[in-house]
Amino acid sequence: MATVEERVKAVTARVLKLDPEEIKPEHSFTVDLGAESVQSVELVAMFEEEFGIEMDEDAALSVETVGKAVEFIADVCKQQGVDVEQ
Amino acid sequence: MRLILVDSPDEARGNFYPLALSRPLWELRCGFNSLGEKLIARIGADSVAYFVADYMADAYRAKVDYPVNDMSVLGGDDLLIVDPRIKADSFNVAGEGPSEGGLDEQGGILYARIAKADLAGLSTNDIGEFIEAAKANLPNVESSLPTWQYIWDLILANAGQITADFATAGKSGVEGTVEEPNAVRGNKKDVYIAEGATVHPMVVLDAEHGPIYIDEGVEVHPFSRIEGPCYIGKGSILLGAKCREGNSIGPVCRVGGELEESIIQGYSNKYHDGFLGHAYVGEWVNLGALTTNSDLKNDYSCVSVMLDGRRSINTGSTKVGSIIGDHVKTSIGTLLNTGSYVGAMAIIMATGKPLPKFIPSFAWFLEGIVTKGFGKGKLYETAGTAMGRRNCRWSEAEQAMWDAVFEMTAPMRNRAIKKGRREMLTR
Repeated sequence: MATVEERVKAVTARVLKLDPEEIKPEHSFTVDLGAESVQSVELVAMFEEEFGIEMDEDAALSVETVGKAVEFIADVCKQQGVDVEQ
Repeated sequence: MRLILVDSPDEARGNFYPLALSRPLWELRCGFNSLGEKLIARIGADSVAYFVADYMADAYRAKVDYPVNDMSVLGGDDLLIVDPRIKADSFNVAGEGPSEGGLDEQGGILYARIAKADLAGLSTNDIGEFIEAAKANLPNVESSLPTWQYIWDLILANAGQITADFATAGKSGVEGTVEEPNAVRGNKKDVYIAEGATVHPMVVLDAEHGPIYIDEGVEVHPFSRIEGPCYIGKGSILLGAKCREGNSIGPVCRVGGELEESIIQGYSNKYHDGFLGHAYVGEWVNLGALTTNSDLKNDYSCVSVMLDGRRSINTGSTKVGSIIGDHVKTSIGTLLNTGSYVGAMAIIMATGKPLPKFIPSFAWFLEGIVTKGFGKGKLYETAGTAMGRRNCRWSEAEQAMWDAVFEMTAPMRNRAIKKGRREMLTR
C-alpha cells in the first residue's frame, strides 16, 4: 500500500493537474502549487474520499502545506480508526 | 381575550421551508405585514403569547416583546389558541364563548377557545400535551377555516393581499417628499408615501391596476418604475428598479433590476439588474448582479417545487419562481430554475447553466456540485458581517438556532454532497 504522503501527493496532482514528482512536502497548496479557493474545497473532498475519513472543514482548510496535510490526515485516520501506511 | 399563537406541527412547517427553518410561520409576510400581525389585528387580542419550536425559542425571544414558550401564560383568564396557518381575513371565531376546539380535516387543532373554568383541567408542562388535552377534553367542532398550505400560497396571494391591506390601512397621499418631475398613473388616491420617504425625480408610480404604499424612510431613486399593487417596507431603497405588480418588499432592503409578484422578507439585497419573479426571498440574502430566476416553464405547465430534495410537489400554478432561504448569497450571473428551492445559508457560485432545483441549506454550490465548501463557520462569519452592516447583531442564540438547523438539514445536504463527490471523481 502507498504511504500517506504518496497518496496525498497523488490526489493533489490529480486535482491541481500537476506531476506528482514536482510536489514537495514544503510546498504551499496556494502559493507554490497555485490552488485556488474552489480547488482547496475539492482537495479536502478528494482527501476524504481517498482515505475514507471525515475532516472538519475549518481545520482542514487551515492546513497550508503538503507536509502538514500528510500529518493532519494521518492524525485524522488514527482518530477515526482508519489503517494507513506511514 | 388572550391570543396564544402556537406554531404548526413540524410536518406542516416543512411546507414553508426554507423560510420557516428560522422563524415561526406567523412571521412570514403576505401583503403589508406578517401573518401574525394580521391574526392579532383580526382577533383584536388584549395580549399575545407565542409557542415556537424549542430550537428557535431563545433567538425568537430576543426579537419580540411578547412571551415565548412560557407555560405560565396558559393559566388565568380565557384564551384563544390559534394555528398561524389560518388565513386571518377568514377568521370568524368569536373571542368569547364556551370552550371549543376547531379541528381541520385531519383532526388537527386549528384553534382552541378555552374558558377560564376549563383551564385548570388541562394543566401540563408541555404545549403539545396541553393542546392534545384540550382536544380530548373540550367539545370539538369541524372547522372549515381556510389555511395557508405551502410557501408559494403566500406569493400567489400577495397582490390581492396588498390591495386588501391598503384598504385596511386607509391611508393615501404624500406625507414624505416627492421631488419633481414625477409621474403618477391611475388614481392618486391609490398612492401613499409615508413620512420620511423620499421619491427622487424621474420616478413613475403606476397605480392604475393597484395601490402603492411606500413606507417610512424609503428612498426611491431615479428611473424606478413602481407598479401597483406594491408595498415597500420601512427604510428600503429602490435603485432604478423595474418594480412590476404584486411585490412586497420588507424593511431595509436594497432592490434594483426587475421584480415581479415577489416577497422579500427584509434586510436583503438585490441591488443590481436581473429578474426575480414569483419568488419568496428570506432575510440577509444577497443576490449578485444578474441573478435571475425563471418563473414560467417553456411549455406553460404547472410548476413543481422540491421542498425536501426528493419529492416534487405540483404547485398548481404556472407561475412560481424561487424560494430562497435566509443568508443565501448568489454570485453574479446565477440562473435559478423555475420553482427552485435554495436552502438557508447556501452559497451559490454560478455555472452559466440553470442550477439544480434543490440546493440544500448550508450547501456550498461550487463548479456545478454541492460541496461542504468552507464549512458553517465561514457562513456564520459572513452572516455576522452582513448583519453588522445594518446595525444588527449575530448573537449566540442565533448561532445556536442555526446549529440546530444545520443538524436538521444534514441528511438532505449529505445526500447532495455524496452525489457531488461522485461527479467530482468522474471529472
